[in-house]
Amino acid sequence: MRSVLASGAVALIAYALLYASPYGLRVLTVAGVYALAATGFQLVFGLAGALSLAHGAFFGVGAYATGILGSQLGWSFPATFPVSLALPVLLALLVGLPVLRLESHYFALATLGIAQVVLLLAVNTPDLTGGANGLAGVPGIAAFGATLPRGLPLAAAVWAIVALGGLLAWRLARGRWGRALTLLRDDPLAAAALGLDVGRLRLQAFALSALYAGAAGALAVHTQRVVSPEVLEFPVMVSILTIAVVGGRGRVAGAVLGALLLIHLPEWFRFLERSYLILYGGALLAAIVLAPHGLTGLLERLLPPKPRPPPAPLPLPAPAVADGPVLRVEGLAKAFGGVRAVDGVSFTLQSSRITGLIGPNGSGKTTVINLLSGLERPDAGRVDLLGRDLSGARADRIARAGIARTFQSAGLPEDSTVLEAVAAARLERDASIATAEAHALSVLARLGVADRARERCGTLPAGLRRRVELARALARQPRVLLLDEPAAGLTDAEKAELSGHLRAIAADGVAVLVVEHDMGFLLPLADRVLALDQGRVLYDGAPAGVPHDPAVVEAYLGAPA
Amino acid sequence: MTILQLTLNGLALGAAYALVALGFVLVLNAAGAVNFAHGDLVMAGGMLAVALAPHITSFWPAPGLALLPLVLVLMAALGLAVSWLAYLPLRGRPHVSVFISTIAVGIILQNGANALFGGEPRAAPPLLWGGTVALGPLVVSVQSLAILAVAALLIGAQQWVFARTQIGRRLRATAQDPEMARACGIPVTAMILATFALGTAYAGAAGLLLANQFFVTPTAGGDLILKAYIAVTIGGWGSVPGAVVGALLIALFEVGVSAVLSYPVALGALYATLLVILVARPQGLFGEAARRRA
Amino acid sequence: MRRFAFPILLSLLAAGAAHAQPVNVPVLVPLTGFLSLEGTSQRNGALLALKQAPAGLTVAADVVDTGTSPEAAVTALERAAGKPVTAVVASMLGTQMLAMLPLAKDYGLPLVTVSGTASITEQGNPWVFRFFPGDAVTKAAHARYVVEDLGRKRPAVIYQTTAYGQGGKAQLMEQFQKLGATPVFEEGVDTSAKDLLPVITKALAANPDVLVLHLHSAPTALFIRQAAAHGVGVPIVAGSAMHQPSTAALLEPAELKGVCAETAASPVSGGSPEVEAFTAAYRGAFNAEPDAFALAQYDGVRMVLDAAAKGARTAEQVRDALAKGTHKGLAMTYASDGKGNMAHSAVIVCYDGKTRVPALVKRYDSLTGAVK
Repeated sequence: MRSVLASGAVALIAYALLYASPYGLRVLTVAGVYALAATGFQLVFGLAGALSLAHGAFFGVGAYATGILGSQLGWSFPATFPVSLALPVLLALLVGLPVLRLESHYFALATLGIAQVVLLLAVNTPDLTGGANGLAGVPGIAAFGATLPRGLPLAAAVWAIVALGGLLAWRLARGRWGRALTLLRDDPLAAAALGLDVGRLRLQAFALSALYAGAAGALAVHTQRVVSPEVLEFPVMVSILTIAVVGGRGRVAGAVLGALLLIHLPEWFRFLERSYLILYGGALLAAIVLAPHGLTGLLERLLPPKPRPPPAPLPLPAPAVADGPVLRVEGLAKAFGGVRAVDGVSFTLQSSRITGLIGPNGSGKTTVINLLSGLERPDAGRVDLLGRDLSGARADRIARAGIARTFQSAGLPEDSTVLEAVAAARLERDASIATAEAHALSVLARLGVADRARERCGTLPAGLRRRVELARALARQPRVLLLDEPAAGLTDAEKAELSGHLRAIAADGVAVLVVEHDMGFLLPLADRVLALDQGRVLYDGAPAGVPHDPAVVEAYLGAPA
Repeated sequence: MTILQLTLNGLALGAAYALVALGFVLVLNAAGAVNFAHGDLVMAGGMLAVALAPHITSFWPAPGLALLPLVLVLMAALGLAVSWLAYLPLRGRPHVSVFISTIAVGIILQNGANALFGGEPRAAPPLLWGGTVALGPLVVSVQSLAILAVAALLIGAQQWVFARTQIGRRLRATAQDPEMARACGIPVTAMILATFALGTAYAGAAGLLLANQFFVTPTAGGDLILKAYIAVTIGGWGSVPGAVVGALLIALFEVGVSAVLSYPVALGALYATLLVILVARPQGLFGEAARRRA
Repeated sequence: MRRFAFPILLSLLAAGAAHAQPVNVPVLVPLTGFLSLEGTSQRNGALLALKQAPAGLTVAADVVDTGTSPEAAVTALERAAGKPVTAVVASMLGTQMLAMLPLAKDYGLPLVTVSGTASITEQGNPWVFRFFPGDAVTKAAHARYVVEDLGRKRPAVIYQTTAYGQGGKAQLMEQFQKLGATPVFEEGVDTSAKDLLPVITKALAANPDVLVLHLHSAPTALFIRQAAAHGVGVPIVAGSAMHQPSTAALLEPAELKGVCAETAASPVSGGSPEVEAFTAAYRGAFNAEPDAFALAQYDGVRMVLDAAAKGARTAEQVRDALAKGTHKGLAMTYASDGKGNMAHSAVIVCYDGKTRVPALVKRYDSLTGAVK
């Protein structure tokens, strides 16, 4: 795969140097501009999964910055280019804070709204922007008194910037940052529970994508030498989006391949006069239907990449732990609408002890876990981890403080390998992906599933998925481990194995809280049991006392007649 | 008096927008995907009406009324074709695939219309007849009243079918939860195709109605899809009555703000208001907050 | 990419001239997007002129769509420059012209356009030739008709928020000021605006004595229809979009009664046997009604062909012929003012309420309309 891409690059350079006419070079230059813009879009949309329809607006803001400063104030490239990079980033940071909180469709629409407002401003402030006519006389790429001629030099300069930007994006995408973004794209809640600051990562991706778009916009006006509202209009956005998807979502090589194809495609059909766009639409439809993972996906299917050799397992250092209370919870409360889901719950989790949390459906067990792990904010109460106040803290802060959890419906990314999924838990700690995977492998080995490390999570049977999820939580090296129905759907043999693992984990000094319905599994395992009903603690004591406690029995079976 | 006149015009425009938004939200619910060709389908409905009108006029004095059922049926067929080409092969893929495939359909429709009919604006025949009637001091075009009546009729019919008939209940169940509907033995794929047909037929009706008063050009769809998108967001993503109310609000807003300030300001204010709504009340004006899963 | 280009060769040869080097006139105009109507008129006018090329000339023309983006226009020009070019029929979209101008200068290619945008002939570029009166000329006629002929002093100006609208509105304001009329109302209208009653209401509230429009085709028709429906008694003088037959086709003749418009020409209104012959040939070739853009582009290409027939073969020779010569065209007589403005006449047409074909009521010649 990589060799194919390399030979493709060589062929492209040979074409540019030897065969291309000035026209061919211009089309190639435009393709470079779009490749750069689409590379940035891969970061925010491909990796972070946010359908930002403001990307075209960032492109346009970069274009207008260079256009206005270059044509009106006579600034040259070394001065205008940094402004074209900085302004879109500033805009992204400004609008990103409120807008990035929105869920998918709302985010898309909000960014579309921003793009429309920017377009309206450009059209209706003629004194600054030249209005709908735009501004002519934008200089070429000039520095130190010399202007880069169009044709080969301009194409080379644009593609050099594409190469530079592409390399940077490729390294970022393959590194911890890229992995973290894919994780929060697939499951933002899990990402937060693994200690990743979702808001900050999204904002970083959004701002960085704006940087690329601004650079591309600047190069676009240096190429066409005028700036007009067309750079802000929706077709630019649509081109970038289609390039990213047709090329291969999330892939830098996809951005480049997609741009080369989609910018050249209409040129090949020009002889059809006005009907060429019909064919273009048809080709686009065919591409999306026939190549679901884009051109890069197609290439990978034809030339599957060689599997990387597995890393050598690297055991996690055992943390020094003291006996005694780890997590103190006092007066925890949470209401949804008028319903008090959790109503003044207090308890303490001890190091090396397994605590069971039971109660009928709707008694507030999962809400307690959500409150402790920061997925919900408590209305009242205090949570204290080893003397550190975590009341109302964000999920990622809580995770970093040492609380790990699993989810009731196993939340593993379907397309990731087991190793990648578990390594995701180490992204926030380890210096490199290699170290993270080495650590992950040792945790998998400890739970006896190292041989499954290369399989995709989506193909695993339910029992193994639970095990992998436990490994992911364990890889956090937590002081407190919260498990939400870990035995659901397991066979008796698997349950017995799970009990063994949980005991071993607790023996290492971890405080474990297990929410479970299955009393046959829980009562022999737990050192202590808490029973909840209607958000209140009904019972707190030894497991042996549970079946004989009248209040618990009544809560489960209903009031005696 | 002016205010009353403007409100009436705004309502008629809003009724047409409501038909557009209704088709959009029905498909959105059933297929779980944004149909970005929806605006271009409205345009196609208008063009279809323009193209068919001369053939009808020869034997029928009020071509608009005869065109309405014809456009509904033909557009439903087009909706089936679109779903077969651009939706069915992409089921189970990320939602953005359908977003892109319908963008491609939009490009084909827009440029197909341009190649077939040229770029000039065209007018479809009025539903009943042209001209105006005086309602007291108000001057109302007959077409505005016809738009209001047809929109009320079609929206009412949709509500009735969904509430009262077997097929309607199946359509609704599919829209609410396709997985659950499948488990209950409902032929989900057929229901989704039917929804595409219904949504596109409504788009066609809107196209026919709009193309008389406001003309139709091959590029007319781009603006309408944005309006539908915004209406659905304001109304609460996926809420059918919300989409209708959202569309009415947009039209009243448009007419109202442009009467006091200006069109560019109205447009800017619409987007600014949208942003404020999104940030302050992301569940829409009428919608329920989507529960987060944990 | 040239391997993939399959240009249509529109080889229309006059008998016995098969060996002569062809006159190559690429047609780079918007055929898609919001200007496809006007761009198609340009294309048709140019192709008709090429079809009727003087005997002895071999003519070739590639037609390439420029869409509406400057980028596509520049790319199309670069593509056309790959072959020896006599002259280029260039987009009427001002932004695209501004983008093509520097490249045309580099390659030495005369651009023959009908764009009205004032600034395209203000760039000091000797390769641009505008065969349609610029905004400065048409808006001078527009304003003079309103003030001098109708005797109105309180115009309300309603324009489109596009390049066409903003450019024309700036010229209108200047001309009105020069003529001592003060607009009582001015407002931009977005192309996506549907109901125009709000702007009509506001304009009338300012108590104008004339409504001056500078809108695109569909909004012009919409405005006139709504004004007619609400019994607006103030006269309407519209911009050149009104004269396009496809605009009038959207309205009932009665709705058009009393409406006037400025334009460079109105081929469907006739006026001379030559214009009538042009209109008939145009209908025959394209099954459409010609407008002033088609006629002006026809005239422009005719002037290029005449120069070629007289021996101008290179782009440079053609440019000199256009810059120094005079051409008696169908719409008017063309000669450069030194900047490439070839057309200095404009007309006013009015509708009588009985037909959709307007009558010429006033002709303004030798307008210079000083530009800022």
